[in-house]
Amino acid sequence: MELELSLSPPYQKTPSIINKSFHGGDDDRCSSTVTRFPRVSWNQDEDDDNNKRFFNGEYQQDMDGDGEGLIGWPPLHSWRKRFMEENHSGGEGFNGRVDEEGENINVMNNNYNELLFVKVKMDGVGIARKIDLNAIHSYQMLTSTLIHMFHKYVENDEDGASYKLMYQHKDGHWLLAGDIPWEYDVHSDSTTYTNGKKVMLMDHL
Amino acid sequence: MAYSFPEEVLEHVFSFISSEKDRNAVSLVCKSWYEMERWCRRRIFVGNCYAVNPKIMIRRFPEVKSIELKGKPHFADFNLVPEGWGGYVYPWIVEIARGYPCLEEIRLKRMVVTDESLELISKSFKNFKVLVLSSCEGFSTDGLAAIAANCRNLRVLELRECEVEDLSGHWLSHFPDSCTSLESLNIACLLSEVSFSALERLVARSPNLKTLRLNRNVPLEKLSTLLQLAPQLVEFGTGVYSAEIRSDVYASLTEAFSGCKNLKGLSGFWEVIPAYLPAFYSVCSRLTTLNLSYATAQSPELTKIVSQCHNLQRLLVLDYIEDTGLNALALSCKDLQELRVFPSDPFVADANVLLTEQGLVSVSEGCPKLQSVLYFCRQMSNSALITIANNRPNLTCFRLCILEPRAPDYVTFEPLDAGFGAIVENCKQLRRLSMSGLLTDRVFEHIGTHGKKLDMLSVAFAGESDLGLHHVLSGCDSLRKLEIRDCPFGDKALLANASKLETMRSLWMSSCGVSFGACKLLGEKMPGLNVEVIDERENLDSLHESCPVEKLYIYRTVAGQRFDMPDFVRTMGKDGGGGVPIKC
Repeated sequence: MELELSLSPPYQKTPSIINKSFHGGDDDRCSSTVTRFPRVSWNQDEDDDNNKRFFNGEYQQDMDGDGEGLIGWPPLHSWRKRFMEENHSGGEGFNGRVDEEGENINVMNNNYNELLFVKVKMDGVGIARKIDLNAIHSYQMLTSTLIHMFHKYVENDEDGASYKLMYQHKDGHWLLAGDIPWEYDVHSDSTTYTNGKKVMLMDHL
Repeated sequence: MAYSFPEEVLEHVFSFISSEKDRNAVSLVCKSWYEMERWCRRRIFVGNCYAVNPKIMIRRFPEVKSIELKGKPHFADFNLVPEGWGGYVYPWIVEIARGYPCLEEIRLKRMVVTDESLELISKSFKNFKVLVLSSCEGFSTDGLAAIAANCRNLRVLELRECEVEDLSGHWLSHFPDSCTSLESLNIACLLSEVSFSALERLVARSPNLKTLRLNRNVPLEKLSTLLQLAPQLVEFGTGVYSAEIRSDVYASLTEAFSGCKNLKGLSGFWEVIPAYLPAFYSVCSRLTTLNLSYATAQSPELTKIVSQCHNLQRLLVLDYIEDTGLNALALSCKDLQELRVFPSDPFVADANVLLTEQGLVSVSEGCPKLQSVLYFCRQMSNSALITIANNRPNLTCFRLCILEPRAPDYVTFEPLDAGFGAIVENCKQLRRLSMSGLLTDRVFEHIGTHGKKLDMLSVAFAGESDLGLHHVLSGCDSLRKLEIRDCPFGDKALLANASKLETMRSLWMSSCGVSFGACKLLGEKMPGLNVEVIDERENLDSLHESCPVEKLYIYRTVAGQRFDMPDFVRTMGKDGGGGVPIKC
C-alpha cells in the first residue's frame, strides 16, 4: 500500500502572526512552518497486489485523480474548500505556541522535537490520519503503526510483520527505508517528511 | 359569465398572491383565470434552466419583472459535475432581453455566466435593479464593470461564492458618480483588491446602502472609515479581521461599530486576531445573523461572542467553537433558528477540536426554535440522534456530515438507521435531509414510511440494495430533489419507479450501479424526462449495455433534450438512439 506523509499541525491556532520579527522569513528553518499538503497523483504499483481498493467491486468510486481521496467529500462548497486549502498552504506557520501578553503577541519558536505530527494519506481513502513521529522510535514501529491504522482498507490482514517500508527518493526511485538511522531521518533538515514524503509498504520483496 | 367578478377585481386579488405554488394553483382553476393570471405574473422561478424553454416562458408570461434561474445540480457545489456540463445563461439572456425590456431583477444560481452575458444584461434592461449571482462562474471583473457602468438604477449587486476571474480591481470605479441608488453590495468572493477610494466614494454616495459585504483584501484599519460613512448598515461583512494591534485603530473601530444602530448581521472575519474581536461587542445584542464560518478564532473567543448575542437567530461557525461554545449558545441564544457548524480540518480523521455530537445535542435541548441544522463532526450515535429528534420535533432541515464515510455509531458500532429513523419519524415537518455514516436499507424504509413532507434528500455511501432506493421513491410523497452518490443502487428500483421521476425536479446518481442499458430504456420510455448519462472515462458511443454509468442526471422537462452538451454527456433514448449531441 502506498501512503503519503506530510507535516501537519497538531492543533489549529490562530494562523496570523503579528510580530513580524519572529517570522524570520522563508529561509529560517527554525521558525515554525506549516507546509502545504501537496497533491499526489495516483501511482498504483502493479507489483503490489496488496494495494486493494476498499470499495465494493460492483460499483465504482469517484476518486480524485490528484490522489487526495474522494471527490466532493466531505461535501463542502468548492469556494470554501479552496479558501481552506489556500489558508493551510499559507507561508505563515503556526506550529509555535501563541501567547497573548497584554498588547503584544509573541510567537514562540517551535521546538522542532516537540511537535512532529505527520498527516498520512492513503490513496483511495477519503480521509487522512495523523501520527506523532516523535512517538515512533524505529522504522519497524512506523511500519506497524501504519499497517494498524489502515488495515481495514487493505484486504490482507496480516500483522504486518512481513511488511517492509520503502520511501520515494526525490529522484523518483524507491529505496528501502533503514539506510539512514531513524533518529536522523526524522529530524534532519533534508528530510522530505515536511514536503509530502511518499512511502510504500510492501510485503513481497 | 354573469356571476364572476370583473377582471380588475380578480387582478387586484391576484396581486396579493406572490408564492409560485399559489400562482400555479390559481392558473389551473379555469381558462379565464389562467389568462388573467399570466398577464399579471411578475416573478418567475425556474428551478432547472433545462426544464423549460425561455421562448415558452415569455409567450405565457409577457410582463415579468423578476426572474430566478438555477442551472447545475446541487452536487456541482462539490465538484461532482464535470466542467463543461452546461448551465449556460447566455441563451436565456438573449431571449429575455428581447421579451422583457422592463425586467428589473435577475437571480442566478449555479450557472455559467460570461462577460458577454453581463454586458447584454447591462445594456438590455433600462430599469435594471437587482443582480444576484450565487455559485456562478465564467465571468470576470470586466463583466462587473459593464454592470457598474450601464445600470443606472442598480440597487443590488451580490456575488455569493462565485468563481470570478479577477482582471482588475478598478471595475468598481465604473459606477458613475450619478449612481446613488445602491442598497446592497456583496463582493465577498472576489479574490483581488478593489480600489478602496472608489469603494469609499461609492459608499459615501449611497444613502440607502443596507448591506455591504467586503472581500478579504479590505484591511481592518479601513473598516471604521466605511462604517462611519454608512452607519445605517443592517448587514456588514468585514474583510480580513487582523492587523497589527494599535490602540487607535481599535478605538476607532469600536466607535464605528457602536455607531451602527441598525446592524443586525455580521459576516466576513477572514483571519481573526482575537484582540480586535471586542471591538464589535457593542452590536452583539442586536445581531440576528452571525457568520463566523471563516473565522479562525478559538473556543474561548467564540464562546464570549455568542454569549452576548441574545437575539441571535442564525449562526454559522467553524468547529473551533467546540462543545463548550455550543453549550454557551444553548444557554444564551433562545431565539436560534439555524445553526451551521463547518469543519476546520476536514481531510483528517483525527479530531483537532473538541467538537462532538454533544454540542448538537445541547443546542437541540436549549434552543426551542431550532429548525435548521448543518453539522460536520467526527462521531455520532443513535442515542444522540434520538435525543435530538425528541428535543426538536420542529426541525425542517437536518443535514449531518460525519467526516469518515460509513462511520458507525461510535458507541455501539451499529448502523445509524435508528437515529436517522427517529429524526424522520419525530420531525413531521422535515423538508430537507442529508445523511451520513453507516446506513443500511432500514433507514430508507423509515424515510419512505415517515418522510412524507421530505422535499430534498441527499445520500452518500449508504444502503445495501435497490430496496433502499425503492423505499424512498415509492414512499416520499413530496420528494422533488434526490441526490445520491456511492450507493449500491442499480436498475431495478429506478425502472420500477420511473413515473415517480416525472413528479420530481431531478434525480442525481453518481458512482452507483445503474447500467447504461437501463438509462437507455428509461429515456425511451419516459419522453417527459431527460435522462443524461455523464461519463468522462468512457467513449459513450461504445459503452456496453450492462456497464454501470459514472454519473446520471434525470430531470423532467417540457423543453425536450438540450443541444449544448459536451461529448461526455448524452441524453438517452431521444431521437431513437443515445441522443448524440450537436457540437456548438
